[in-house]
Order: sequence, then C-alpha cells, then structure tokens
Amino acid sequence: MIAPIQATGLGKRFGRTWALRDCSIRIPAGKIAGLVGPNGAGKTTFLHLVAGLLSPTAGEVTVFGRSPRSNLLQLLDRIGFVAQDTPLYSGFTVADMLMFGRRLNSRWDQSAAEDRLRSLEIPFDRKISHLSGGQRSQVALALALGKRPELLLMDEPVARLDPLARREFMQGLTEAVAEEGTTVLLSSHVVGDIERVCDYLVIIAGGQVQVAGDIDALLALHHLLVGPRLAGDTRLPGLDVVKEQHTARQSSLWVRGRLPQLPDGWREASLPLEELVITYLSVPGAGSLPKPEPEEALA
Amino acid sequence: MSWVTWRQHRLEGAWSLIFGSLIAAAIGFVAYQLHPANCPGLVDGYCWSDDAAGQLAQKIVRFNIYQYGLVVFPALAGAFIGCPLVAREIENGTHRLAWTQGVTRMRWFLVKLAYVTFPLLVGAAAVGVLEIILINHLGTGANHWDFFDQQAPMTVAATLFALSLGVAAGALVGRSVPAMAVTLFAFVVVRIGLAQIARPNYMTAVVYTTHDLAGYNSAAYPTAWWLDPPSYYGSSGQLLSNGGLAGPGQRVSYVVQHFQPGDRFWTFQTIESVILTCLALILIGFAIYWVTRRVA
Repeated sequence: MIAPIQATGLGKRFGRTWALRDCSIRIPAGKIAGLVGPNGAGKTTFLHLVAGLLSPTAGEVTVFGRSPRSNLLQLLDRIGFVAQDTPLYSGFTVADMLMFGRRLNSRWDQSAAEDRLRSLEIPFDRKISHLSGGQRSQVALALALGKRPELLLMDEPVARLDPLARREFMQGLTEAVAEEGTTVLLSSHVVGDIERVCDYLVIIAGGQVQVAGDIDALLALHHLLVGPRLAGDTRLPGLDVVKEQHTARQSSLWVRGRLPQLPDGWREASLPLEELVITYLSVPGAGSLPKPEPEEALA
Repeated sequence: MSWVTWRQHRLEGAWSLIFGSLIAAAIGFVAYQLHPANCPGLVDGYCWSDDAAGQLAQKIVRFNIYQYGLVVFPALAGAFIGCPLVAREIENGTHRLAWTQGVTRMRWFLVKLAYVTFPLLVGAAAVGVLEIILINHLGTGANHWDFFDQQAPMTVAATLFALSLGVAAGALVGRSVPAMAVTLFAFVVVRIGLAQIARPNYMTAVVYTTHDLAGYNSAAYPTAWWLDPPSYYGSSGQLLSNGGLAGPGQRVSYVVQHFQPGDRFWTFQTIESVILTCLALILIGFAIYWVTRRVA
C-alpha cells in the first residue's frame, strides 16, 4: 500500500543551516501521527516539504507516492494543511472563508463544514479578526476538513490555545477524522496533546528524526532499568542504551529492547510517553541508533 | 478564484473607481467646455465661457490635473494596488493558506493579476482618450507632444508597467512598504529615462536649417517637438551660439534646430507604449517565476 507520506534521506538547507537532515520516515495510512520536538527542530520545515511549500535540498519526499512539487495540483486537492498560527483572511467573515474553500477546492463539502462550525456555535457573519483564538483554529480546521482531505497536516494547531480549547480542538479533530480514516500529521511541542489523540509518534530534534513508530509499540519497547552501579564501560548485551545516568551506587539506563531475564539487583520500569520523548530530546545522538521498524517494534 | 479576488480586492476596486471617475469627470468636463460649439469667445487664448461652468473648468485646468495627475496616477496604482497583491499575503502568512488549496500558484497569481489589472487598464484608456479630446479642443496653443504621457495608449502602457513593477517587487521583497519604495523609485527612473534619453531618438530627428535669419521661426511647425534650442553658426561653420541669439559683432551665417514632426506623434506613442508593455511582460514573467518557485 502506498504510504501517505514517505521521506527518504530528506534534507532542507536554508543558507548554510540545515533545518532538516537525512530524514527517512514512513507514515502509514490511517494513523494520527504526532510530530514532536523543541522549537526550531525542523517540524515546520518537514510539514512544508510535505505540503509542497518547500522543495527539498536533498533526498525526496512522496505524498501518496507522488512528489509534492511536480504533482502539486493533484495532491493539493487531497491534502488539508493548517499552517502555524492558523492564517486566515482577517477581513473575511466566517462565511467568506467557507466560500473561499468552496471556490478553490473541487472536493469541497460545504454542508459538512457548515455543520461543523454551527455545532461549535461559531457565528457565520462574524469577521475572522473578531474571533477568539480557539474559534479561529476551529475555522482553520473546518476549512482544511472541508476539502475532504486524505491527508491532514497541521503545524502546531493548538499552540496558542488555552488548555480547555486545546482539549476541545483535539477532541473535535479525532471525531472528524475517525469516520473518513484520514491520515493526520500534526506537530506540537506539548507531549500531552500528542498523547491524547495520536497513535503514531515522530520525535525530531536538531533537524533529525530521533525515532518514529506506533506509540504503543514505542512504549512497549522502551524501558527504564535501574540497578547497581555499572563498573567502567560495562554493557548489558542485547540492549540499545538511549541514555544512561550513574550515581555512586546505582545506574539508570533508558533502553530500547528487553532482556529475557534481568540480572540480579536490576528492576525494570515502563517509560511514560513524556519521559520517552524527553529522553530522546535530551540525547542529541540518539537518532543515530539503529531505528526500529514498526514491524520489528510490534514483534 | 475570481470570487476570492473580488472579495479580497473590492476595497481597492472601489477606491480606484472613485478616483478614476473623478479624474475622468474633470477631464471630460473641461473637454466639453472647450468644445468649439460651446465657445463664446477666447480667454487667455483658450476658448472659455465666462459662466460658472467655464470658471470651474478654468480652475480644473489651473490645478493641472490633466497634466500632472495622469503621470502620478499609474505610479500610485502600482505602489498601492500592485505591491500588496502578493506581498500582503506573504506578510500575513495567508500565502500558506492560499497555496495549499486546490489551485496552482500559477492560476492563483494570474487570476488575481488579471482581475486587478484589467479594470485599471480600461480606466486608464478611458482617461487617456478623454485627454486626447481635451487637447484637441485646447486650440492651436496646445501641442500634443507637451502631453505625451497623458494620452492613450501611453496611459494604458504606463499603468500596466507600474502594476507589473509593483506586483513583481511585492513578490520578490515579500513586504508591501519596502516594495512600494522600490516601485516608486524604479517607476520614476524608467519613465524619466525613457522620456529624456530614449524618446528623442526613436526616429532620426528632422533638421530645420536656413540662411534666412529674418524668416527663421520655429512657429512655422506648430505641431513639432523641438529637441534642442536653435544653434547659430558662422560662415565657416563654427558654432557661435547654442540657444540664445549670437553675441554682438558675430556674423551669423545659418541656424540649425532639430525636431520631431507632429505627424510622428502616434508612431512615438506606439513605440514607447510597446517598450513599456514589453518591460511589463518581463516583470510579470519574473513575478510568475518567483511566485511559483518561491519558498514559503
């Protein structure tokens, strides 16, 4: 099956700086994928490359098997894109924005978009500039969903919303895409948002993909091992150590993989998602570890 | 896309319509007042009636809108309508919204450009034609060459050029205000460069020369565009004076002056309009390239 997004050695350079480097990931169809990383990690660059707003400097990215830059029109009808800060025309009314979507997209579903905004009690005759941040984001989402996209890309859609509006937005998103089986890729630097709605995770830092996979599989794969202080460069065989920390008496290892039997004095704890993300983000070189394939991770 | 363009630019459209109508009405009114059929007598060599309408017409003429206004107007259209066309989208980030809809950037850009440009060109043509009528009615004192930039087709070509310049600058710079500065500066440089340097040389000038100093009178060619002041030469061909009359005691043998005859006026209009239109097309081509390839 053709993946909605497949990147191979993808890189983008602005001037002398690589915003994204050697990025190879595959987002399977039907996933709600979260793209996490600190500010400036390359999340926006990656989303713009997928949406065809940028051309890669190195490698390639395909969307439904096609290159965004050369097949832009066929793809744009199938992609919904909500850019950072949810840009909308501030002089337009909500109804004008829907008309905008209707006039520019061949698969536009007017009644779905209207129903969506009506259920959120967003007045159609209000100007965009007079909407609250949450309402603005909802209009941007309705505009993207009105295209009936097969792939929905969102760049920090809830970054400027308060916790309640965040929750509502994410809730609405999950319901909307569940029916159609839309693939979603959304970026955020808040793990809580991702954890609530996503089933697939891509961690990106310093322009490189650190890890990518099903969240359940990633959680099953990663553990925290705590035991007596390891002497020198002793290694526990059969484990990829993402991060290690030693005190005088004990060693803590954040590991990928599992030992059939733990050595004496060691105990294993599962890693919450937030902890897993922070572990990867705090170790810049972790991305150079062999990446688990989703299949392998599930096994 | 046409609806979107209308919705986005209807305010500029309304302003252009108001300004354009005012100018057209003023010029048309003066032209009507000057019509020989409405002419009771000459005032200052012009054909004015002395009633209220005639006095209003005189005020309009003194305000010179039919002369300077029409030179400035295309530049303003280029700066205030051309520059924001793409630049404002980039400033507000809405280009990321527009460029991810089911329309190619090329189509998005061309429709916007066409819908904004076409009405302005029609307006410029209407004003330019009214100006021709006005100048025809001004009487023998008026020379078409003195109003070269204010008549159609030059008004149309200048407006197209200014808009293309504004749009291209806006697309390149990505911010409206600096693009406006670039547009106004480049517009002035190109227009003055063409008028001062290129225009006299579109065709080889005709030489008016005579030994009959008493009978020398450039008024013999009332429709001509005189390119230089008369030059006075001595009997051995040495230049005695360039401009004013020769000094006392110098014996002038003959006088030389260059001009473009009046029947070349429309040829010159066509040549310069074509030059400006070609420049405009190059700028539009550049803007298309920049918009479709631009990183967002």
